[in-house]
Amino acid sequence: MMDDVTKPAGIGASVRRKEDQRLVTGHGCFSDDFRAPGELFAVFLRSPHPHARIVAIDPSAALAVEGVRAVLSGAELTADGIKPLPHHIWALHPADIAMPNTDGSETFTAPHHAMAIDKVRHVGEIVAMIVATSIAIAKDAADLVQVDYDILPSVTNTWDTVEADAPVLWEQNGSNVCGDVEVGDRAATEKAFAQAAHVARIRTWVQRVAGVPMEPRAALAEFDPATGRMTLSAGSGGSVRLKHDLAFMIGAPPEDVRVIMKDVGGNFGTRGMIYPEFCLVAWASRRLQTPVKWTAERSESFQSDYQARDLAVVAELALDASGKFLAMRGSNIGNAGAHTSNFSPLQKGVEIMTSIYDVPAACFRARPVVSNTLPTRPYRSAGRPEVMFVMERLIDIAAAEFGFDRVELRRRNLLQKAQLPYDNPLGMTFDNGDYHTVMEQVLELGDWRGFEARRADAKRRGKLRGIGLANYVDTATGVPRERAEVTVRPDGQVDVVIGTISQGQGHETSFAQLATEFLHVPIEQVNIITGDTDVVKFGGGTHSGRGMRLASIVIWKASNEIIAKSKRLAALVLGGAPDDVLFERGRLRLGEKSLSLFDVARAAAERNDLPDDLRAPLCAVCDESVNEAAFPYGSHVCEVEIDPALGTVEIVNYSTTDDVGRAVNPMIIHGQTHGGIAQGVGQALMEQIVYDRDTGQLLTGSFMDYTMPRADNFPFFQAAFAEIPCTTHPLGIRPAGEGGTTPALGVTINAVVHALQEFGVTHIDMPATPEKIWRLIQQGAKAT
Amino acid sequence: MRDFTYHRPKTLDDAAALLAVEDSRPMSGGMSLLPSMKLRLSDWAHIVDLAAVPNLSGVREEGGQIVVGARTTHVQVATSQLLHARLPALAELAEGIGDPLVRNRGTIGGSIANADPAADYPSAVLALRATIVTNLREISGDTFFNGLFETALEPCEIVTAVRFARARRAAYAKYRHPASRYAVVGAFVAQYDDEVRVAVTGASSHVFRIAEIEALLRDNFSVAAIESVAPTLPAMNADLFASADYRAHLVVEMVRRAVAAASSRNALAD
Amino acid sequence: MLRVAMRVNGAEVSGEIEARTLLVEFLRQHLGLTGTHVGCDTTQCGCCTVHVNDVGMKSCTLLAIGCDGADITTIEGLARPDGLHPMQAAFCDNHGLQCGFCTPGMIMSATDMVRRKGHDLDAATVRKELEGNICRCTGYHNIVKAVQAGAAAMKTA
Repeated sequence: MMDDVTKPAGIGASVRRKEDQRLVTGHGCFSDDFRAPGELFAVFLRSPHPHARIVAIDPSAALAVEGVRAVLSGAELTADGIKPLPHHIWALHPADIAMPNTDGSETFTAPHHAMAIDKVRHVGEIVAMIVATSIAIAKDAADLVQVDYDILPSVTNTWDTVEADAPVLWEQNGSNVCGDVEVGDRAATEKAFAQAAHVARIRTWVQRVAGVPMEPRAALAEFDPATGRMTLSAGSGGSVRLKHDLAFMIGAPPEDVRVIMKDVGGNFGTRGMIYPEFCLVAWASRRLQTPVKWTAERSESFQSDYQARDLAVVAELALDASGKFLAMRGSNIGNAGAHTSNFSPLQKGVEIMTSIYDVPAACFRARPVVSNTLPTRPYRSAGRPEVMFVMERLIDIAAAEFGFDRVELRRRNLLQKAQLPYDNPLGMTFDNGDYHTVMEQVLELGDWRGFEARRADAKRRGKLRGIGLANYVDTATGVPRERAEVTVRPDGQVDVVIGTISQGQGHETSFAQLATEFLHVPIEQVNIITGDTDVVKFGGGTHSGRGMRLASIVIWKASNEIIAKSKRLAALVLGGAPDDVLFERGRLRLGEKSLSLFDVARAAAERNDLPDDLRAPLCAVCDESVNEAAFPYGSHVCEVEIDPALGTVEIVNYSTTDDVGRAVNPMIIHGQTHGGIAQGVGQALMEQIVYDRDTGQLLTGSFMDYTMPRADNFPFFQAAFAEIPCTTHPLGIRPAGEGGTTPALGVTINAVVHALQEFGVTHIDMPATPEKIWRLIQQGAKAT
Repeated sequence: MRDFTYHRPKTLDDAAALLAVEDSRPMSGGMSLLPSMKLRLSDWAHIVDLAAVPNLSGVREEGGQIVVGARTTHVQVATSQLLHARLPALAELAEGIGDPLVRNRGTIGGSIANADPAADYPSAVLALRATIVTNLREISGDTFFNGLFETALEPCEIVTAVRFARARRAAYAKYRHPASRYAVVGAFVAQYDDEVRVAVTGASSHVFRIAEIEALLRDNFSVAAIESVAPTLPAMNADLFASADYRAHLVVEMVRRAVAAASSRNALAD
Repeated sequence: MLRVAMRVNGAEVSGEIEARTLLVEFLRQHLGLTGTHVGCDTTQCGCCTVHVNDVGMKSCTLLAIGCDGADITTIEGLARPDGLHPMQAAFCDNHGLQCGFCTPGMIMSATDMVRRKGHDLDAATVRKELEGNICRCTGYHNIVKAVQAGAAAMKTA
């Protein structure tokens, strides 16, 4: 039974966010808001070339500028023994599939130094750091650093990287291909294809995009010469990992490094790994014995933030005459950019190529490659939107080409409830769900049946209307370990120290709801404490739908331990046996007598007759690794109208049904869905990072060229969710952060292609820009 | 941004005198100038802020012409009662410039003097038979825009007002860039008793007119009159968002839309 | 160095600045008013929106010296002594923010929108008028609802 006071704020309540008060009044504290007395400012000189050997760097003119304190480059970096970025190229969770090379060789990796040592391998790679008394002076001086480059041929396009004559980034590897992996069962797949009545084919490039959190990165490093400690104030995807990575790079013991972050202006994966600049300001602060600060400008973000997606796919789906899926095969090339930084989107995609359909056999080749582009890393549902796009496109292509109804084809092949848990043909085991019901719900919500009337109406207005459907599954794995420390304070507050900080997900509220639910204390009295590694011991960070999934487990278990301890304490105070004490409505009852949790905490603090483990503070720690994956899933319907004269697309309706398991804060979950949809639709229709294929130059270097979705690109979304408890989570919670994005690429393009049906269009590569659509209409009109 | 000397003259003459110094640039709203300076695409030793120069803003009718002061902001043009009654197309154009916060600050004089190839106002200058009034002289709008960011203005010359000839009917149709919000193609169509003017911005190095379409519309001001026209156009801009031939298509399409909007409008009485 | 004086959130302030100092730099670095944010360098994102003499503008594209003598309101000056401004409250009530970085600019832009367009705003108007403000977290859904609710609440407040 829940206490009446706490019920409105426990699990399932749309509690208004606690963090909003400071954020709407301008009192948040973002990375650039940190200041230190005597701080110097760093500016980075970045390579204008995609691929070049550094012949010489002459900093003398820059050093002569008044106010300049240092100009540092690769030579000093090497001399000081600064280590490369400690990338983990593959996902670290035991549930994700292994990615061994087919020939038994090791996956190629090369050191990613914080500054270019001998060669630059992408436009924007750091060549020198200028530290001065103001940003303006540092910028003026940066213009004076002379760098002599020997320009090399470059390769940026993903398909081009694997060609025999492609310029090679890392000579020691001999080619740009870093791994060559085969997953699935080739023999079974070939056999199934041999028997197929139909084969649907796609060759597509899921284009490169940028995560674009609205807060540009910034970092303030403060080296304390007296203690030898380094403090870095910088927003990232997780403070604890950043601390360890920074300690490694600058060669300091982890206990001598402190990372602080308060408010973080978005992440989406972009902030998930340490950045060169974070290490460089720390190094400069230590060298100069003065605080050093750096703040990115947006155009610098486009040249320095990790980018995302960029997967080239060739895939085939085999069907029998009745439309039953028989097998799937293909090849995925994941463009990691200039450094071997992260291949996990390739891995996390290829392991679920077949989605939630019953595909008996599958075989895929997967190759991570390097190119003269920014390094990539996971971004909003890493790897999964790409492959869901491929599968959902293949289904629509098969339907159009072989005369099946799109919805019926999905109904025919979606996994049945009885088939779960299900071992997919690529090595993953799905938990539970009701895929059919959820799909039927979204068809209802999106009024699939009423579409033709709306299409006819659109036609009268001169518009082409289309509707699309897409299902998805999302592999939630990520760093398996999380830690919570729950303390009940005698003054009526509950402190929850937890390692994973919010970058907008609302943890201060939703995590507090968990403590409110488990300990029956008003949410106003729960404090979520995070973001300072001197307080927080461990935390995996926000990614892969792990935040709430793992936080709920460790906060729940720590809360249970608090209750168990409290019962023993109450028994001592009230005189009785611990087993007779009941925890009800936030109070510990023994017969007629009762104590609040806070009374118990006070007793723990004040009494001197307690056994060691009951002495104050009333506290419990849960540090646990969760080695099972979760598989959130759902269905989206998107409806578009196209102006045939311009090729412009308007999203006129967008409906979602996501199974989030038990919903902790429905308001926040809906918010996550809305934002996720916008990022997915953004990729489908407008966003793209473009490098000139010939020159390797970045052509989308600011908001003047990189199209960010705006308010007038969308209607109100119709977002619903199913709440089928997740069987791999003790509380039934399923991740809910990525579902907005995962199917959005596929469903949007499915709708666009459907609208263009009468012109014979069967596929369009992303982004479906007005010009591309207009051309397809022109070609179609000519052909008919 | 590189540093500079800031001037805030109180008279037009003082402003002109300050601009006589080498490497000086006048600033009105600063919505184009400051971004280019921030990105270090341009820098100036002297910035002459025209904010304190009096009598440069406002919209009035004078001898059958609409006079818009150079420092009139886009939002003032967009919401001018006089324009909504007498030349609504110009107000509509202003309502589509940049975004509301930029419109609160940016001015017509600054926009015209900057001559961005993708700015909106140049199309109105050409189509509405405008005269650019400066501290030194009056310049026909027809000869004002000479190329990419190039105008007929002399270094010490300051735009003080723009005079537009009221059209019988007019409309502006813009295809805006989804990221920058500038015009990929903007077409301004104006019908006069003796001629029709069709001016297009965004599509080429600078604003241009399309005589071929103007001739067709002079005889028959309707969409039907230009239904199958394939006009000869100057070299089209090409960028990531729109290739040259897509832009050429958009030119015709935007002209068509502007004509449709203008023809649905009642001809304004004098 | 130049001397600049202006009124910010009702208080007379002044400082020594370079000619190139932007208003947002003056607010953030000289006055410590860090609620006004910088999200881009091309005058697009609107994170830096403040009111200059009651009109919404992007403070990243204004010279501080050009605002000499002006009356500036930033997000810190919007709340009333008795609580949040109705637009701030509406953003909280409608979950109109996630990471909160674009939020100050959104709210300052939204209150400017009400000044220009009135209290009864339909969704299409709000979406169009938010052209100068970019958000990456919310998909704008709840921002639009918040602006509509906040605009209506400002009528009775």
